[in-house]
Amino acid sequence: MSAARFVQPPRPAGSSTKRDRTAVRAATSLAPTLATAAAKLRRRFGARLLEEEESFGELTFVIAPGDWMRVLAFCKSAPDLGFDQLDCLMGDHLPERADTPFAVLAHLTSHTHAHRLRVKTFLPEGGSLPTVTGLWPSAGFDERETWEMFGVVFQGHPDLRRLLTAEDFEGFPLRKDFPLEGIVGGRVRTELRGKI
Amino acid sequence: MSDPVAQLVFLIVKAVAMPLIIITMVAFAIYFERKFAGFFQARVGPTYLGPWGSLQSFGDVLKLISKEDVIPLRSDKSVFKLAPYIAFVPAFLVMAVLPFGPVGGEPNLFGHRFDYVIANFDAGVVLFLAMGAIAVYGVVLAGWSSNSNYSLLGGLRAGAQMISYELAMGFSAAGVMVMAGSMSLVEIVDGQKGAFWEWYWIPQIVGAIIFFIASIAELNRTPFDMAEAEQELVAGYLTEYSGMRWGMFYLAEYVNMIVVSGIISTLYFGGWRAPFESWNVIPGPIWLFLKICVLIFIYMWIRWTIFRYRYNQLMSVGWKVLLPLSLANLAVTAVVVSVVG
Amino acid sequence: MSDVIDSGTAQARDVDATPSDAPPRPTLEQLKERKARTRQRLETGGDIMTISMGPQHPSTHGVFQMVLDLDGEVIVDLRPEIGNLHRGVEKLCEHRTYHQIIPLTDRLDYNSAFAMNHGFCEAAEKLMGVEVPARARYIRTIAHELSRLANHILWLGVHIMDLGTQTFFVICFRDREYLLDLFEMLTGARLTHSFARIGGVAKDLPDGFEQRCRKVIEFLPKRIAEYERIVKHNRIYYKRAKDVGIFTSEDCYAWRVTGPTLRAAGVARDLRKDEPYAAYDEIDFEVAVEYNADVYDRFLVRMTEMRESCKIIRQCLDGLPDGPYVARDAAHSLPMKRDVLRDSAAMIQDFYQVFRGPQAPKGEVYRAVEVPKGEMGVYIRSEGGAKPARVRFTTPSFYHGQAMPALAVGEMVSDLVAIFASVDVVLGDSDK
Repeated sequence: MSAARFVQPPRPAGSSTKRDRTAVRAATSLAPTLATAAAKLRRRFGARLLEEEESFGELTFVIAPGDWMRVLAFCKSAPDLGFDQLDCLMGDHLPERADTPFAVLAHLTSHTHAHRLRVKTFLPEGGSLPTVTGLWPSAGFDERETWEMFGVVFQGHPDLRRLLTAEDFEGFPLRKDFPLEGIVGGRVRTELRGKI
Repeated sequence: MSDPVAQLVFLIVKAVAMPLIIITMVAFAIYFERKFAGFFQARVGPTYLGPWGSLQSFGDVLKLISKEDVIPLRSDKSVFKLAPYIAFVPAFLVMAVLPFGPVGGEPNLFGHRFDYVIANFDAGVVLFLAMGAIAVYGVVLAGWSSNSNYSLLGGLRAGAQMISYELAMGFSAAGVMVMAGSMSLVEIVDGQKGAFWEWYWIPQIVGAIIFFIASIAELNRTPFDMAEAEQELVAGYLTEYSGMRWGMFYLAEYVNMIVVSGIISTLYFGGWRAPFESWNVIPGPIWLFLKICVLIFIYMWIRWTIFRYRYNQLMSVGWKVLLPLSLANLAVTAVVVSVVG
Repeated sequence: MSDVIDSGTAQARDVDATPSDAPPRPTLEQLKERKARTRQRLETGGDIMTISMGPQHPSTHGVFQMVLDLDGEVIVDLRPEIGNLHRGVEKLCEHRTYHQIIPLTDRLDYNSAFAMNHGFCEAAEKLMGVEVPARARYIRTIAHELSRLANHILWLGVHIMDLGTQTFFVICFRDREYLLDLFEMLTGARLTHSFARIGGVAKDLPDGFEQRCRKVIEFLPKRIAEYERIVKHNRIYYKRAKDVGIFTSEDCYAWRVTGPTLRAAGVARDLRKDEPYAAYDEIDFEVAVEYNADVYDRFLVRMTEMRESCKIIRQCLDGLPDGPYVARDAAHSLPMKRDVLRDSAAMIQDFYQVFRGPQAPKGEVYRAVEVPKGEMGVYIRSEGGAKPARVRFTTPSFYHGQAMPALAVGEMVSDLVAIFASVDVVLGDSDK
């Protein structure tokens, strides 16, 4: 029982299973279909894909906000990509990026090829993106949530209202500068006390 | 005591006793409904008030009376207040024509003739159907006057449903009228002399089944409880009612159930007659009571077992199945009666 | 792409498994045509009555709100509103260590709390590279399937109650008790277990659990057969559920409707098979698929899934390996409790984990698991340290509630409750 166990834990005794699971767990190489899809995306958009990151077996493309609609539409319609399901569209706030602190991420899934892709874009304060509800109707709630939580506007969204918070809520709760505690955002309706 | 005075005394006694008996039966019907529901659902039902919880209904009524009576601000107040009575009273009126023992004949009580019916009315069946039709107004007006969308939908459903099922009900009852040659419930029972195989339920088996199904729809019970449909319309026409006004509807439902059970027993199952003639030593009211109890149990059994129909399916069952069948039943009965005699 | 089965190519693995006397499977075109036929298309305008169904309504399963535009009884338009149960779970997650987040995930889908714990732990383990020992994976699989059974039994009762039979609801609750008792024995809690840990589970199986669990899974298939006898062949249920709320595979993809609803549309998509986690890749089970995409088939899918769950649990109990129930990974997981009391290193690890939390690397992961209601994805972005920088739970009910307009417009109000129940929405799950 030395301190070495802290640094280098021994392999657990019961880890010998019917199959070697490390292949599943630490898969860093991409699925062949996804590699094809990525190659096709690179061919189509070239330098417009600002960054490409491969980690934990997941592929991420960073694109400019102006390309958002075009790239996602291509992802949905191109046969080798075939991302027919938008698994989740979400926002993120990275205050350390001074110019473009907001990120919008789209996780795409393909039922045809069984692969996943993440497309990401960075936005400045008050930035906006075109809506993708025309491609995947399921983006409707996601975009409403991203708007109310981060203040990212989605141009052309049919019904951009607050979703999870109250209608008169003020502020964007998932931004990092929004406090966790205290009476913030909403208001305590003392004027209605005794009337309802 | 001269005979007219005796008859007047008897009439008053019957007219006072009958509603009291009915209300007591309602209280126990509610208790047994909850107890049976408990048994069907592997639980015990009410247990606290009285022996085995048997006084639960009386406690509930006390609670309902003492509850705040909420009338929605934007409702049609006079109609809103009137509607429970329109639903409640007609059900009682039918009991006046329901015979619960022999009528006419020799003096049988203190040297006077005691008729086991409050009013020997010639068109008893028609009165029953008419009162059923009036009771619909209670439901429809309740739904309309509440000024609530759910209530309105419930009222509309109830109106449409009861109209369509009343037809099938009326036509199947007409089969019995043709056989008995009378619309009086007293004479219909007289037509069913003898043991249980001589009652009308064998020749009128189709009519009996249709009448029973239609009566479930009349009573707004599962599978035809469209008007309340808790999972769809919250409580249908009852949504805005509270306290004793709601209680009136609730009681009316059970009074209706007892009345309809009595009518079915009378039309098809010999009324107050015993299943075998030798068993007639036990008085008629007890036989009628037992028959009503069995039918009520069947209503409860169905309610706690079966799914609810969809609204349009209910209508198509009523118009496309029950109505043609009841018409055919009436036609066949009429032909057979006129040929055989 | 004309055939529904072929449209799900990669996942349609048991296409040939069904017997030849099975009823012919409708193609996607046939399903679309059937859907168009069963829905009544009405013009907006005219006598439209607007009803707010919910947030307080007996059959919205919580505080879901649907604003309905009705023409008579037919739904012309439907606007879903959620958020009445919003608790800011994602914001809270940013201020807690990974261990402290696990109890929050219980409160997402409280009917299948373990599946939610499990989903988060799978994502966190992917981020940290923790290898879960075999015994822990098997225990997780057992608990996950128990929560699936509990969820589906509750679903069945509620679904049937929405169609008007209250007795059945109580019967289902009675049988769910056996599962909750098992959970109580296993975790100490009946509803919100917080049982999964990063790198394993909180406790080993207690004494006597195996026998009791075996008894329950021997007994449940008989009960499932009884449910089918009561419901499947009931004429009124058939009329209420058949061809109601048809939702083809294309609709499912577009609205991100997953889980039993997608499988009832003929797509054999099940993340337990497609992206295996826990011990699912070592277990032999079938993915339940039906092809008519209506309420009735969603019921059938869930019934088959419950049988398969019993099968999975039985196999897990049979092949339960020995060994630790939590990873011996000092940097990321809590030690086993029995070690803490007699081993100084484990005690230090315990203090370290409780006070500082697991040290995650920088990076972002997305991991989806098959919870009883559908696919739940967990996105974690870490900037290093014990607390995540952003967590997002992509919960199935969120999208299922959103898809209500596509599911129910053109149907009647009575069907709406059946359809809403059939896609299985829980508001804790959807409002986060």
